[in-house]
Amino acid sequence: MSKKITFDYWEHLYSNRTEYMFSSEIRDLLSLSARPEIISFSGGLPEVRALNFQRLERYIKRILKTDGDISLQYGESVGYYPLKTRLIEVMKLEGLDTVEEDIITTTGGQQALDLLAKIFIDPGDIIITESPAYTGALNSFRSYEAKIIGIPIDQNGIDTSILEKKLKELRDKKARIKFIYLVPNFSNPSGVTLSLQRRKKVLELARKHNIMILEDNPYGMLRYKDKPITTIKELDSKGDGHNVIYISTMSKLFAPGFRIGWIVAPHPILEKIILGVQSSILCVSTFSQRIAYEYFSDPSWINNIDEFIKIYAKRKDTMTKTLEENFPEGTSWSAPKGGFFIWLKLPHYLNTKEILADAVRNNVAYVPGSAFYADGKGTNEARLAFCTENTERIEKGIKILAGIIKDKIKLYKSFK
Amino acid sequence: MKKNIAVLMGGRSLEREFSIKSGQRVSNALRKLGHNVIKLDINESIVDNLNSEKIDLAYIALHGKDGEDGTIQEILEVLNIPYTGPGVYPNVLSFDKIISKQIFMSLDIPTPPFYFLNTSSFRELGSSKLLPLITKKIGLPLVVKPSAQGSALGIRIVNDKESIPEAIISALSYSKKVILEKFIDGVELAVSIIGKEKPRILPAVEIVTKKKFFDFESRSKIGETDYFVPARISASSNKKMKEVAMAVHNALKCTKLSRVDIIMDTKKEIPYVLELNTSPGMTDTSLLPMSAEAAGLSFEELVDEIIKMSLKD
Repeated sequence: MSKKITFDYWEHLYSNRTEYMFSSEIRDLLSLSARPEIISFSGGLPEVRALNFQRLERYIKRILKTDGDISLQYGESVGYYPLKTRLIEVMKLEGLDTVEEDIITTTGGQQALDLLAKIFIDPGDIIITESPAYTGALNSFRSYEAKIIGIPIDQNGIDTSILEKKLKELRDKKARIKFIYLVPNFSNPSGVTLSLQRRKKVLELARKHNIMILEDNPYGMLRYKDKPITTIKELDSKGDGHNVIYISTMSKLFAPGFRIGWIVAPHPILEKIILGVQSSILCVSTFSQRIAYEYFSDPSWINNIDEFIKIYAKRKDTMTKTLEENFPEGTSWSAPKGGFFIWLKLPHYLNTKEILADAVRNNVAYVPGSAFYADGKGTNEARLAFCTENTERIEKGIKILAGIIKDKIKLYKSFK
Repeated sequence: MKKNIAVLMGGRSLEREFSIKSGQRVSNALRKLGHNVIKLDINESIVDNLNSEKIDLAYIALHGKDGEDGTIQEILEVLNIPYTGPGVYPNVLSFDKIISKQIFMSLDIPTPPFYFLNTSSFRELGSSKLLPLITKKIGLPLVVKPSAQGSALGIRIVNDKESIPEAIISALSYSKKVILEKFIDGVELAVSIIGKEKPRILPAVEIVTKKKFFDFESRSKIGETDYFVPARISASSNKKMKEVAMAVHNALKCTKLSRVDIIMDTKKEIPYVLELNTSPGMTDTSLLPMSAEAAGLSFEELVDEIIKMSLKD
C-alpha cells in the first residue's frame, strides 16, 4: 500500500504566512562565499576593523564599573533615553530635526521594518517599493502577506511619473495601499540616490493619497561627495508632518553586532510600535544601547565616520575603475556617491543567478538581481558590494567577473 | 563496536549546504549508534586532517564536485581508509551524465534521447548551427542541462527554440558540456539500491512536484513536493523499473549504495534512466531515507547498515 510521506507532522498547524518565507538556491550558493578564498561582493559587511577596539573596551569596563546593574537589566520598551539624545545629534548632521519623544530604538533596522509591517499590514494590503528594493524589506512585508508593487528607478531614484499613474490606478480599484518604502540615499541594492525634486513629489503623492512613506536611511552618513539632500521626513515636518516614518541604524555608523536601529514616527504610530515591541522582545538590549551611548558621547565617533568614508570611497573608486577598464560593451553599472553598493546590468540574455555558479567556482560571489525584485525580474542584474573587500581583492574579483561575462557574451554571439 | 568515523561534508561544491545537512544528520545517527564522530570539511587541509586522526571509516556525505566525481574516493584509496558508497570507477562514470548515458545506450538501457555539445565546440566549431537540427530530431519541449551537476542546478525545460541559447549559456555556467535531452512526460521515480554482496532494491519513491520538474526548490522546500512510497505504478511497470535500476547499478559497477533516477513512461511502460547518484542525500527530505523507512529501516538502522558493509572492505 503506497503511503504519502509526511516530513513535518505539524504542517497543518503553521500559519499561512510561513508560506511566504522561503529559502533559495541563491542563499545556498552564497553560503560558499564565507570561504576565505572567495572574493565576496555579496554581503554589505561594514568594515568594523576600522573601529578603535581599545576605546570600546574602555567604554565597556566603565559601564560595568559604574552602572553594570542597570545596563544588564531589562530596559524600557521605548528605548534608552540618553541614547536618544545622541541620536538627535546624529540626525541633525543630515539636517533632520526631531525630539527624543519621537524616537523608539529597535533591534537593528530590520526589526524596525518588521514592527512597521506588523502594525500596518493585513493580508493582501499593497506596499509600494522602488524596484529593485532591499531584500530584507521585501521579505519582511511578504511575511505579513502584503502584495508588493515595484516601481522602476532611474539614476534619480524611483520614477515618480510611473508612481503617480500606479497610485491613481490602484486608488481607482479601491486597493488598500499602506505605504511606499524607499531607501533614498545610496539605495540598497542600486546605490542610487533619490533627487530632492522627486522626494518632494513622492511626499506630495503620499499626502494626496493619504498613505505613509517609510524612509529607510541606513547609508545617508556614508556620503563620499556632495552635500546631504534633505530627508523626506524633514520635508514632511515642514508641512503637516504626518506622512513619513523614518528608520535608521547604527549598523553602518557603528557596528552591526550591537543590533541597534531606530524609528522616528508620529506619536500615535509610536504608541502602536511600542505595543509591538512589548509583544515581541520587551525591550532592545540595554547593554548594547548603553555602549552605543558611550560611543556617540565621545566626539571622536565622527572621526570614525570619516575613516569609514575614506575606506569605502577608495574601494568604490577601485571597483568603478576596474569595471570601466574591464567590463565589455553592453554592460552598465550605477555610480553611487556613497553607501555600499553598485548595481550591475548585463545584456538581457545573461542570467546572473546561473552565472553565479561559474563565479563561485572561480572564487567570486555577488548577489543576483532577482533577489531584489518582488516579481522575479532583474535576472540580468546583480548587486556588487564594494564595502567588504580590500582594493587588491576588488580589482582581482572584478577582473575575474569580467572574464566570465566576456566569455558568456562571446558564447551567445556564436548563436547568431 | 565503537569506531572512529570521519564524516566528510561541506566541500567546495555548489551543493555544500545540502552536504552539510546530510553530514550533520548522519553524524547525529552515528553518535546515537555509539561511534566516535569526527566531522571534516573538505578543503586544503583534508589530507592532513585524515592523516592526523585514527580513522576506521570515512562516511562520505558529500554531494557534487569532489564527493561524487571520484576525487575524495581516490584520496581515501591512497590513504587506505575504508569509505562508504561506491568506489572511484562508478563515481567517475556516473558524475559525467554523458558518459553514463552512453554506457546505458550501449547496454540497451532506456535513457531519454540526447545530444551533447561543449563550450569550445560552440566557439570554435560553429556548433550553434546544429541547434535547429537537434531540435528537429529530439523535438520540443527539450531538457537543457549541465553534464556534471547535481540537485537539478542549471536545468531548464525549454518549450520554444528561441529560448535554447539562453538555457545553454545557463547550463554551461555549471559544467563545460551541455546535454540537450528529450523531455519525457512520465512519473518521476527514485530507486535506491543498498547492499554489497547481494544488493537489494528498496521501495521506489514517486515524486509529484508542483513545478515543471523536480528542481532545486522542489527538493529543498518542505511542502513543495509530494512523495509516495512505494510508487503508485502498476506491478508490471514496477518490475521493469527494478530490472532497469539494477542493470544501471551493475553497469556502472556500483557497490554498497546507489540511487537511480528514472522517468517512467507509464503508457508505454518504459523506465527511462536519467542518472545514477553515488552519494544520495541524507537530509530530512532526501529520497534514500524515505525508501529505507518504507522498507522498515529507521534512519539510524540505514546508517548502521551502510557503515557495517563499508567497514568490511
